[in-house]
Amino acid sequence: MEGLVVKLPSFPFLSPNISSSSSSSTFRLGFRRFSASISAAVNEGFVSLGQLTRPDFPILHQEVNGSKLVYLDNAATSQKPTAVLKSLQNYYEAYNSNVHRGIHYLSAKATDEYELARKKVAAFINASDSAEIVFTRNATEAINLVAYSWGLSNLKPRDEIILTIAEHHSAIVPWQIVAQKTGAILKFVSLDENEVPDVEKLREMISTSTKLVVVHHVSNVLGSVLPIEDIVIWAHAVGAKVLVDACQSVPHMVVDVQGLDADFLVASSHKMCGPTGIGFLFGKSNLLLTMPPFLGGGEMISDVFLDHSTYAEPPSRFEAGTPAIGEAIGLGAAIDYLSGIGMQKIHDYEMELANYLYEKLCSVPNIRIYGPKPSDDIHRAALCSFNIENIHPTDIATFLDQQHGVAIRSGHHCAQPLHRRLGVNASARASLHFYNTEEDVDNFIQSLNDTVSFFNSFK
Amino acid sequence: MASYFISSARFCTSKYPIAVHLSKPLLLPSKPSKFPFSSNRFISFQNIPTKSPPPLLSSSSTSTPLQPMEELPPKLQDIIKLFQSVEEPKAKYEQLMFYGKNLKPLDAQFKTKDNKVEGCVSQVWVRAYLDEDKNVFYQADSDSVLTKGLAALLVNGLSGRPVPEVLKISPDFAVRLGLQQSLTPSRNNGFLNMLKLMQRKALELLIEAKKGSGSSGNGQIVNDNSEKPVESSSLDSKADENSGVGSSSLKGSEESSGGLGSRGMRIKEKLERELSPIELKVEDVSYQHAGHAGVRGSDGETHFNLKIVSKEFEGKSLVKRHRLVYGLLDQELQSGLHALSIVAKTPSEVEAK
Repeated sequence: MEGLVVKLPSFPFLSPNISSSSSSSTFRLGFRRFSASISAAVNEGFVSLGQLTRPDFPILHQEVNGSKLVYLDNAATSQKPTAVLKSLQNYYEAYNSNVHRGIHYLSAKATDEYELARKKVAAFINASDSAEIVFTRNATEAINLVAYSWGLSNLKPRDEIILTIAEHHSAIVPWQIVAQKTGAILKFVSLDENEVPDVEKLREMISTSTKLVVVHHVSNVLGSVLPIEDIVIWAHAVGAKVLVDACQSVPHMVVDVQGLDADFLVASSHKMCGPTGIGFLFGKSNLLLTMPPFLGGGEMISDVFLDHSTYAEPPSRFEAGTPAIGEAIGLGAAIDYLSGIGMQKIHDYEMELANYLYEKLCSVPNIRIYGPKPSDDIHRAALCSFNIENIHPTDIATFLDQQHGVAIRSGHHCAQPLHRRLGVNASARASLHFYNTEEDVDNFIQSLNDTVSFFNSFK
Repeated sequence: MASYFISSARFCTSKYPIAVHLSKPLLLPSKPSKFPFSSNRFISFQNIPTKSPPPLLSSSSTSTPLQPMEELPPKLQDIIKLFQSVEEPKAKYEQLMFYGKNLKPLDAQFKTKDNKVEGCVSQVWVRAYLDEDKNVFYQADSDSVLTKGLAALLVNGLSGRPVPEVLKISPDFAVRLGLQQSLTPSRNNGFLNMLKLMQRKALELLIEAKKGSGSSGNGQIVNDNSEKPVESSSLDSKADENSGVGSSSLKGSEESSGGLGSRGMRIKEKLERELSPIELKVEDVSYQHAGHAGVRGSDGETHFNLKIVSKEFEGKSLVKRHRLVYGLLDQELQSGLHALSIVAKTPSEVEAK
């Protein structure tokens, strides 16, 4: 490669001063042009997507404990690009106002932007109608919404709900609560020899008693991907619904709810470069229409009398009280940013990173990485949970942080049943996002080796 | 003898702010931004004990002065000074791990839920007991090497000391160690929770010992705490030591008040009526079992510790005593009471000690 300088034209979203009063369509046009340029640059191999996007994330450029920060805890939460930060600031500076009921200019503008964010989410996951998007506080609240609203009114004693043992606590606990109240039964699918939920077993478990299947799309511990389309087909054949926990998939790959034909799908904004405090539930219109309210209050009503009230149509029916307006708009900005790069591009890059991470980790002696081995058929997400013999993951994480500035996570990652099945109390986890680079991985491995020798030398 | 001491509270940087004493022995409260090397205005000379004086806080820490070193147990002071003398962070960790390595292993029987430190990502157990002079001794263990080191540090530093001294310890001494142990009282703060648990156990032991009860502690304890010397029976206090819970009695059938729900009250009444105990202690420990199967589907009052001293037990074998109690509480057992842990004694047994 010669010393060719890739001259990137400066596009609106690289420069921080975006005024949202410029219409969103020019915004999007800018992204399309940018996207083309990114493809060019990345395809030519001059610079990786990580290197290209890193400058957009101010938080990554700092030192912790005396070393450069290497942030590898993206499965816990992602970092936010300047565009999102600016959109939040701009909301509060220029047009903050309560939505939906106001007459005046500011509130009309806030309402417009808030509903535009809803449309953006719908388009992002290819929902047919933005009314199928309910804004919640996060994915956990979205699952609780389905549990309390749909679950309580649809489940009867001896109805079965199928889950995997690898589900996040937020996908298990609400169903335990609802099962207790309704007499429904929870059934769990265990892992197969590849350390992935046993899809064949899951298929067998689906019966006419099954009313709901709750599955993750991508596992936050195993890094595995489940065949949602197939699962939905099997479930629908017996009249069961499917709730997809897409927290680890929506930020990293193209997710098409119509293609999957999922009944419910949840995701959190903070894992997809958006602010905390906002997430969403996708629910098919015909389902949402039949569901009773979750939380009661303003915004979700039609008329209120002293002895009864009537409720609004979905999605408002499930959005009681003043919403997280600024945050929703911030999520919209995050979606714009991600779309500007292109989710397929992000996915392809992260696949490379995932393989690189896995390979490099395998070279660490006495390491045990959980989840499937990547191959042509089996793709892993760009995360690895692991344990090293005779060294506690907390020790690893502590040392990595204090001595090397590397941020990973140690614990059960909100998946205690899974860890119990794996026979461990805790694991360490490194998880990447598109703004990480191969250098980050190299750094991590080097630091990890140093950590391991430190603890081993002590024995 | 005057000296001033240069140290760095943040060992990972190469800056060495000048440590200053203005009032002995308290540290300079927040003048954190004024650390210029060249400023000589803050240096004062005064008599300082020859062993290394406490270092100055880094600017990022609290604005209130640290607890004076003299209030800490002497062994803990030594440990702190040792850590201060080791400057390189890596070496500090080695020191920590060294402590952990030399920590006496904890017998498996003591690795109980009651002894487990909450809020640790790793598993940590702490056991406490008193000697005849009411000094508290500790043992601890952990599956994580660093946490074990911290536990060892606390065990070594606090063991053998009178309980009031242990209770006085403020966790901010950790700052002096330079280990950058977080002191935020968050769920995950193992170090803070370890210290709190140790303090709580010390207090419980002291209260028990003062009441003079439970000294022949070879109770037929049905749950996992079976041990000879006086262990603290798990007082039902989550965080605060003195939240009035069933601390047991002097003679005169005092009740354990605080925190009994309807079932607890029924149990108490029944036992009082049928056994006329001279001592009765009813303790709801359902919260300890909140995770497991026996509790599901109940209203929460599922596990109790009972201590009964009554003449009715005279002449009865242990098994018969327990059967008696179970018989009296049959209805409760049918309606959701899951388990009882019973200590059943006669008055003469308790007096005989």
